[in-house]
Amino acid sequence: MNTQNQNGYMLLYRSDEWYNRLSQQDLQNLMSENRAWIQKLTEQGKATPGRALERRGAFVSGKNGRFVTDGPFAESKEAIAGYLLVDVETLDEAIAIAQGNPGLAYGGSIEVRPVAEECPLETRARELATEEQLATV
Amino acid sequence: MTNMNTQNQNGYMLLFRGNDWIKSLSPEEKQKVVDQWMAWFRRLTDQGKAVAGNPLEREGKIVSGKNRVVSDGPFAESKEAIGGYFLLDVASMDEAVAIAQECPGLPYGVRVEVRPVAPECPVASELTREAEFATL
Repeated sequence: MNTQNQNGYMLLYRSDEWYNRLSQQDLQNLMSENRAWIQKLTEQGKATPGRALERRGAFVSGKNGRFVTDGPFAESKEAIAGYLLVDVETLDEAIAIAQGNPGLAYGGSIEVRPVAEECPLETRARELATEEQLATV
Repeated sequence: MTNMNTQNQNGYMLLFRGNDWIKSLSPEEKQKVVDQWMAWFRRLTDQGKAVAGNPLEREGKIVSGKNRVVSDGPFAESKEAIGGYFLLDVASMDEAVAIAQECPGLPYGVRVEVRPVAPECPVASELTREAEFATL
């Protein structure tokens, strides 16, 4: 596990629509906490504004994308609800930021993923090419 | 979020799912898919249809719950794991789906999730809706 990364980290917020179960007061409080959290990170230059994703959409799969199906994107606890790109150099820092998310107390989880320098396919293809070269020596 | 709005000013996100398919490919096939994928992204960028995109490493952590527990995720083997994303600046779901259908990974088992980017935080729109009800 490489702990240093120049390309930043992506926080993927996973949750069902738990906020529908909150009272108006709780929602109000959570939103101001959330705004403050994002504002602090932005001011510190640690995050660029993230976006929420709508609870609808489609899955495309199969050769030539011939299968187009609906969600579910609302009920599933695994559904991606939004993302935030954080500009920090270590996984630990990125995790610490994720842990500061005010919404975590209510449900959901945050996936913390290093953004890759290049496509992992490309890395693997190069590795294989090197192995082949070595084998022919 | 009730009816399927086909127009969206905020663009769409493509999430590429599946990280296990790559193992079954020969080096030549891998190189071919990589080249196709890069050319696809370059073309979309040139056309102004893709505004961002990144692959994600096959590693990472999951933070969850009140106690902010940190755990490992199965990001390498999982069929559901997200391997990367594109942000598209197109105005309709149909266009976004048509672009998703061009993904070079599809024949190998990649699934593309197509999601409209929300105009604002859904928590905020929930609150607006409640406030509207309250004033009725």
